[in-house]
Parts: sequence; C-alpha cells; structure tokens
Amino acid sequence: MISCVDMNRRQVMVAGAALVAAPLLPDAAQAQETTAAARKDSAESDRIAAEFIAGATPLREGLSLDLPALGDNPSAVPVRVWVSEEITDQNWCEELIILAELNPMPLACRFSFSQASGAADVAVRLRLIETMHVRALARMNDGRVLDASGQITVAAGGCGL
Amino acid sequence: MANPPRIWLSSETPAAGEIVRVRAQVVHIMESGLRLDAAGNAIPRDTLERFSATLGDDVILDWFPETAISQNPYIEFTFKARESGVLKMIWSDQNGVLAEAERAITLS
Repeated sequence: MISCVDMNRRQVMVAGAALVAAPLLPDAAQAQETTAAARKDSAESDRIAAEFIAGATPLREGLSLDLPALGDNPSAVPVRVWVSEEITDQNWCEELIILAELNPMPLACRFSFSQASGAADVAVRLRLIETMHVRALARMNDGRVLDASGQITVAAGGCGL
Repeated sequence: MANPPRIWLSSETPAAGEIVRVRAQVVHIMESGLRLDAAGNAIPRDTLERFSATLGDDVILDWFPETAISQNPYIEFTFKARESGVLKMIWSDQNGVLAEAERAITLS
C-alpha cells in the first residue's frame, strides 16, 4: 500500500518535472542562435600578436595581468593589466593590447597612452567564449615589447557573444 | 541624458605627482554582430568604438574596445596628476559621441 502511494508520487514528480522543463527548451534553443564559435587554436591571436610585436623579442617581465582563476560570469570577466616597471618621462608605455585567444575575434581591445599619462594601468571586463589563455602585450617608447598571459577556466554557457 | 556615465575618482584634489585612479562605466548594448534574430538574420554589430580621456590638452588614454568587451563597458585607468585641469572623458560609437563627462582636477 505504501509502495503504491510512493509510485504514484514518483509519477507525479516525473510528470511535474517534464512540465517545468518543457517551457525552458525554447529558451535554450534561442541561446544557440549565434554564429559565434570558439576558435580551435590561438593561430589568429598569434597572428595579431606577431603584428603588434613587429619583430621585437617580447619580454616576459615588466607587465602584469590579473585575471580570476574561474570566470563564473563569462559575459563580464574582470581583467586588469598594468606595466609594473616604473613609468617615467623617459620610460613609458605607448600601446597595449589584450587578446582573448579563443574568442571569435581574439583582439579584445587596444589602448594607447602618452608621455603625459604617467601610468599604464587599466582594467576592463571581457566576454569569453570558453576556457582559454588571455594575453596582454605592451609596447614601450623605446621599442621593447612586454608580454604577459594567464589562463582562465570559464563556466559553460551564457557567454552572450 | 537618460543614462549618464557613472564615474569614480580616487581624488579630485591630488598632490602633485600623485597617481589618480578613475573608474567609469557607460550604458551600451555592445551588440557583437555574431547573434541572430528570430528570423535567423545577423543582428548588425553595434559596439562602443572609442573612449578617450584628456587632462587639459594632454591625451591620457585612448581605448578602442572590440566585440570581446562586455555590455555596458567598464573602464578603469590611472594617470599622474602633474597640473590642475579638466579631466574630460568621451565615449563614442558608430553614431558619433555617445556620452561626455568632465571632472575638475585641482592640485592640493
């Protein structure tokens, strides 16, 4: 008798779950209506980086990149990039780019500074399509190129690209 | 303007040579051009194209966002306060200037 009641309860639960799930399906399908797809490799990002580096040897020092280990909201991932060596009137950053290596369009943004800036420290929020490396490159006024990168694990879905 | 930019400055009266930090956010859809509408047509790209900050006659920062920048773009930057002047910030997209804001910087 008790098991019979249990069975009925289970059936009701299953039917109820189906009812709740059904209206969600069209929404899930709608979220797929985008031509955005993650890139298979960082080739396009590397091409943009090579163009920016323009033959210099990128230095793995002097530039810092702050990125969360987990992007729990992939549509707004906080990223901070700053030149950690001292900025002076003789030594300053001219240009800086941020690359999201596997995004459909890897170049996330470009910054340009001047001698008057007296600093090179920026933070933005990125949309990331999946787990990837984020890379930053900075060109100093003496032609040196500084390079920094970090990996971020992006929670699935909801990228909104 | 319906949605003026939100702006925060670490100091409007910095000491000479002090590094001033600025945080600013503007309302913008940042449509990537990669999404499709209900009929399957691509929604045209509509992104913020440029943000520039000047102090007096000096350009402090130019920022050129692309599609990977989040909706309602947020920008944080710093500059060295060398002299008093007006910090002017301009956001623009394909339709021209979207928003402008000014803050007086007075050396203490």
